[in-house]
Amino acid sequence: MPRIYFKTVDRYVEFAEGEEVNVLRMAIREHCDVPWQCASGNCGTDRLVVEEGSENLDPPRRRERARLGDLVDEGYRLACQTYTRGDVTFSWDPDQVGLDDEPGSSDGGGSRAGWAGTG
Amino acid sequence: MADLMSHSEFRVALEEAFSGTMAKDASFSRAWATGKLHKQHFVHWATNHYHYIGPFGDYLGLMYANTPDHARDAKDFLLQNMYEEELSDDRHTDLLIRFAEACGGTRAYVQDRNNAMPFAKGMQGWMYYVSGRENFVVSSAALIVGLESQVPSIYRTQYPTLIDKYGFSEWEAEFFDLHITSDEIHGERGYQIVLKYADTPELQQRCLHYVREAADMRFAYTKALYQTYVEPDLGPWVEEDERQPALVG
Repeated sequence: MPRIYFKTVDRYVEFAEGEEVNVLRMAIREHCDVPWQCASGNCGTDRLVVEEGSENLDPPRRRERARLGDLVDEGYRLACQTYTRGDVTFSWDPDQVGLDDEPGSSDGGGSRAGWAGTG
Repeated sequence: MADLMSHSEFRVALEEAFSGTMAKDASFSRAWATGKLHKQHFVHWATNHYHYIGPFGDYLGLMYANTPDHARDAKDFLLQNMYEEELSDDRHTDLLIRFAEACGGTRAYVQDRNNAMPFAKGMQGWMYYVSGRENFVVSSAALIVGLESQVPSIYRTQYPTLIDKYGFSEWEAEFFDLHITSDEIHGERGYQIVLKYADTPELQQRCLHYVREAADMRFAYTKALYQTYVEPDLGPWVEEDERQPALVG
């Protein structure tokens, strides 16, 4: 049975062979403490580092590419936008916030885009 | 009287309550996924869908008002869901109209209630009824688990077809791509709320009843889309692998 390893909280979550599952959905379902806010690919709060198993993930979606930019090439994915069909390992910073809310972000607060980051 | 189920037992029962009548298996969905529809059919679909889900913020608002203060996480979830439908990015109904316009429809046509089937109006009325009159746990089961959580399974089949077979751009079909992922999370949050607050056998059974009813409603509505708009053009729906040789092609 394939499984997702949420390394930061040392939790394995199994799913049925042949299924493709949404990573954030599985994290919420099994209470794995992945930080998230909007679930629409807008805020980037749920960005994860793919440590192993990237070949089992579906390609980044348009919103994910737009939100993460160069971070995609550095091995990041958004949990809400990512489906897996096999074993994969993720890690993250437990204290991370939305990309627009990061210190030094030029888009945080006030604008509609910044507002969405808190949604 | 049934016993109180554990969370895991109740979750399985909820999943089984709509597994036999999922809208992805209805004739209109199957015709869509197998590339049989024309753009005019999509205009009709978008028009009816607008009148079915257009007031989703209203439904959630009614549920919010019916949710007691002690269920703060449930209230927050409903408020967040409402915000994401209407304000966090493009308004979801605007994405739906964008798709209709890509198919040759107009905003005015889609928004005109007179262009929707009675089934769509019935669906809308049912959702207003359940969200306004039922216990918040039961309405969450009906609208979030029974209806919203089905969406990814429908659109994950239909979206690639829109791009690969029907030739829409990602921008034109963004309504679907957005809901594949956002409704995964809304659906899961809905499950968590229902599992937590359906804490009596009576509430659990009522949730199951409404999940079944929601699935039946959506299946009948989706089937009616085919009968009303597609059957006059393509005839009664027959699955490819069930067609007689004479009918193939």
